[in-house]
Amino acid sequence: MNLRLAVFLMVLLFLFEGTIYPWLIPGSLEGRLVPHFVFVFVLYSALYSARHTALTLGLIFGLLQDIVYYGHLLGVHSFAMGICGYLTGLMLEHRRSTIMMALSAIGIGSLFYDSLVYFIYKAFQITSETYAFALIEHILPSLFLQLGFALALYIPARRMFENSGKGSADDVD
Amino acid sequence: MIGLIVFIAVMGFSLTKRDKLSWPENFIGDSVTFVQQWFYKPAAYLAGLFEDVRTMKELYRENEQLRMTTAKYARDATAYNFLEQEVKRLQEELDFTKQQQEMNDYKFVIAQVVADNQDPYNNVIKINLGSRNGIKPDMAVITVDGMVGVVSRVFPVYSTVMPITELNADTPGAKPIAATVLGNLDSFGMIDSYDTQTGMLVMSKIAEDDKLDKGDTVITSGLGGVFPRGLVIGTVKSRRVGDFGLTHVAEIKPTAKLDRLYEVFVVVPPEMEGLEE
Repeated sequence: MNLRLAVFLMVLLFLFEGTIYPWLIPGSLEGRLVPHFVFVFVLYSALYSARHTALTLGLIFGLLQDIVYYGHLLGVHSFAMGICGYLTGLMLEHRRSTIMMALSAIGIGSLFYDSLVYFIYKAFQITSETYAFALIEHILPSLFLQLGFALALYIPARRMFENSGKGSADDVD
Repeated sequence: MIGLIVFIAVMGFSLTKRDKLSWPENFIGDSVTFVQQWFYKPAAYLAGLFEDVRTMKELYRENEQLRMTTAKYARDATAYNFLEQEVKRLQEELDFTKQQQEMNDYKFVIAQVVADNQDPYNNVIKINLGSRNGIKPDMAVITVDGMVGVVSRVFPVYSTVMPITELNADTPGAKPIAATVLGNLDSFGMIDSYDTQTGMLVMSKIAEDDKLDKGDTVITSGLGGVFPRGLVIGTVKSRRVGDFGLTHVAEIKPTAKLDRLYEVFVVVPPEMEGLEE
């Protein structure tokens, strides 16, 4: 079952984001290139598996991120990842997405995700940055990071989730 | 729709100050962080190794600087020993209570950083001390350079530290830091927010006739009772009249490096220990 492999990989990616990643990027870009590698995988699962898989994965991994780095409040990432995964799945689940379509979906998805997180923090008055500043400062630079990561792992991710989708479909039949 | 309502409720609930977390949070938080430390430490070590090779040339200059600092330290230490005895004698003569005497007797507990969140609005770090080690929310966290942040949430074995760059006067439950100037303890101001665009802390509520000036070193005053006194925060970069014209506002450049931390100190005030026993 390849979904298990995917979940294992996502756990590894989650650990990577918070531990090894900060030491890899140049110091001046710290806080500007924000990795959402787990989120990219959630979107891949929405594109090549089912939207409910994406919703569950998004909720679980978002909650993991929320609890492990519990600073201000819980539930922001869980909510944002879940809804982004679900909506992407709702729109593109049954098409056979090409690489360009997958990448644009991931780009738009990350943009939407970052903006959603920003507006939640803004609504709770935790950040007082303007949206334009947040966009230039970290949302757009991180978008390119996410796209690069998505491109690098397109083939293995697609294979993994397409197989897992078929597997579950066979089970239902 | 129900999901949306549930999430907003959870967010609102979790925003409040919580001394104790529930067991699922404790379990997940601690077990994941336990694994995280296996990654963070080797990465930090490797990065440090490369950095060491690169900075080999600067070693000589740094050594020279350190030698000067040591000389200064030795001189200060002699003066300090004398002063400490003097203060003790005076306190005894004036019948200070035990609590008053120990009020500023802070304990510095070393902690290793085990993970670093990349989220720009919640840029917390995780340290390997928790409620088992007597850590409580709102304890100050420092490095040798200065103040880094405040303990935010405490798990049994690990806790999250909110860096001072997350200070924001508008946030509900925000705790501004009462600050003063090194060498001029009559100065007073509140450090209550951080400007992400300029990278400066904002110190407000400075009286018009205050002597605070450019280049001064700002330290915590301990007047609020939340943070201990005497922790270095930063240096004053500029000063101007505040928004309402009644008080002045200063920009403070933080002295402590806030990213790629390896070791930090948690400042444990003595009163809290007394409560625990």
